[in-house]
Amino acid sequence: MNTVNTADFEIDIVADHEALLQFLYLAPVGLIQATMNGDIQLINPLSAQLLMPLAKEGMLSNLFDVLESVAPELRLMVSAFPHENGTVCEWFRAHLSAGTQGKRDARVLGISLIKLDASRLMAVLNDFSQQVAQERQLKHNAAWLNAVSAGIADYALIPLDETGLIEEWNAGIGRLTKFSAQDIIGQPYSVFYPADSISTERMRDFLCEAEEDGWSLSEGWRIKADGGRFWCSSMIVPVEDFGDVEEAAALFDHKASGYALILRDITDQQKDMGEHVRTMYCDYLTGLSNRRALFEAAELELKRWHRHPRPLSLIAIDADFFKKVNDTFGHAAGDLVLRQISLVLKETARDIDTVARIGGEEFAVLLPSTDIEGALALAERFRKRVEADCVTVDGAQIRYTVSVGVSTMDNTVASFDDLLARADKALFDAKHGGRNRVVAASGALHG
Amino acid sequence: MSEILMIDFYQPGLADALNQSTDEQLDELTFGVIGFDRAGVVRRYNTFESKISGLAAGRVLNAHLFTTVAPCMNNFMVAQRFEDALELAAHMDVVIDYVLTLRMRPKQVKLRLLSSPMEAMRFILVNRAQ
Repeated sequence: MNTVNTADFEIDIVADHEALLQFLYLAPVGLIQATMNGDIQLINPLSAQLLMPLAKEGMLSNLFDVLESVAPELRLMVSAFPHENGTVCEWFRAHLSAGTQGKRDARVLGISLIKLDASRLMAVLNDFSQQVAQERQLKHNAAWLNAVSAGIADYALIPLDETGLIEEWNAGIGRLTKFSAQDIIGQPYSVFYPADSISTERMRDFLCEAEEDGWSLSEGWRIKADGGRFWCSSMIVPVEDFGDVEEAAALFDHKASGYALILRDITDQQKDMGEHVRTMYCDYLTGLSNRRALFEAAELELKRWHRHPRPLSLIAIDADFFKKVNDTFGHAAGDLVLRQISLVLKETARDIDTVARIGGEEFAVLLPSTDIEGALALAERFRKRVEADCVTVDGAQIRYTVSVGVSTMDNTVASFDDLLARADKALFDAKHGGRNRVVAASGALHG
Repeated sequence: MSEILMIDFYQPGLADALNQSTDEQLDELTFGVIGFDRAGVVRRYNTFESKISGLAAGRVLNAHLFTTVAPCMNNFMVAQRFEDALELAAHMDVVIDYVLTLRMRPKQVKLRLLSSPMEAMRFILVNRAQ
């Protein structure tokens, strides 16, 4: 009655096993099973293809170690995950390289982590490089459509002349910003920006971008006449004056005779988007920008630099003997030190600088409109503040120092990856010179 | 026992010896051998390689190596090297450290990559890391 042809079963099992193996060998996404500590137990070939270029000494034994240099927050996200199982993160983006404008897209790795139970973690990896490039274009288009179609009530249209001075006042401006005509006519459009949050160069950049791309979009805090702030999506578009037909012909050679600045109060949307944006652009532990935010800011700055070369510098920072802090006082203390460094760094830098955590104990600051001397001075101020600082953990005072490398943009720098590599090289020299010091990239001071 | 099985993973001029070997002789080697043609299609696959990968030769022969057999080698460290060697008509014989995902387990190995402008067949040899 219960006859089962086991011989057939055996054959099926072997063949099925082989088919399953091949299925996994060929799966077009990376799949990894690891322990909660990140030790890799099972890994398919695509994962190896994506991770091998990141692996130090060609080892793929621990997922967190391999990803430490590009996604240091993953380890903490997993250990801080409060549930017995579930999704720890979905398509977290690790930025491997910034890419080169017009030549090579940024390399971006998408990582999902799923906690299966107390001892097993599943990771899914995907190469996001192409999607990211497409998304950027879509984002521009969507923002443009938004600005045109969304609520009429909450935007102001401000005519600017060809140098960015405000030409006219209208009721919409008054309603949104509370500024009166005499407050703003003839003023540069930076009157809507909080103090120190925009430079003259940046103001010109936005106009140039509008000229070349058809629009320039940015998002950030803007101020009203009464000092109140609102989160604003602002767009500048070139406006061509076709009033005179002969002149219009000349204008086809393309030079805007002025611009329109459109301000939209999106404070409410921002509140909804806040958490989402924070996870995309902020480092989980320190609240600083993450690699993604830094690389995107750098791409923009380099594009601007190529249009109008001007000072642009980069600082790379590494906490000295950080492993010793972790080993002696524990990871929690190490995290506190990282947070404290972030705080000091943020206080030392300006609003327009991008301050990012880019690796386990590595930080970087992108400094627009800053030459090598300015960057060295800021780096030295930061180094001294850190040296004088200490963190108290369980009554123990932890003193710590940082090593800093500084590079600056010139026409021998090929890409942001190159600029970062130069700062890293200087940082390496600072480490070798005895740590707790600031070193300029070779050539930067005399370039 | 067949006669000429003195082939060693590290010996010089290995490509010639492999090209002259029969399938049976390759099957007696104690390291993996994958031979593929200029189009990237797998033409030779020995028993050792079949055992460590868990795939019968029948599943692998006549398939494209880097896209449908071993996508884990489809990067600048392996596939790109073969592509460059072909393009530059250069002789390549290098041994690299690598991690293969044999039966989904990360395994450190030595890969020897062989390509010669004179030969139609290119080889990847897989040996255990020392």
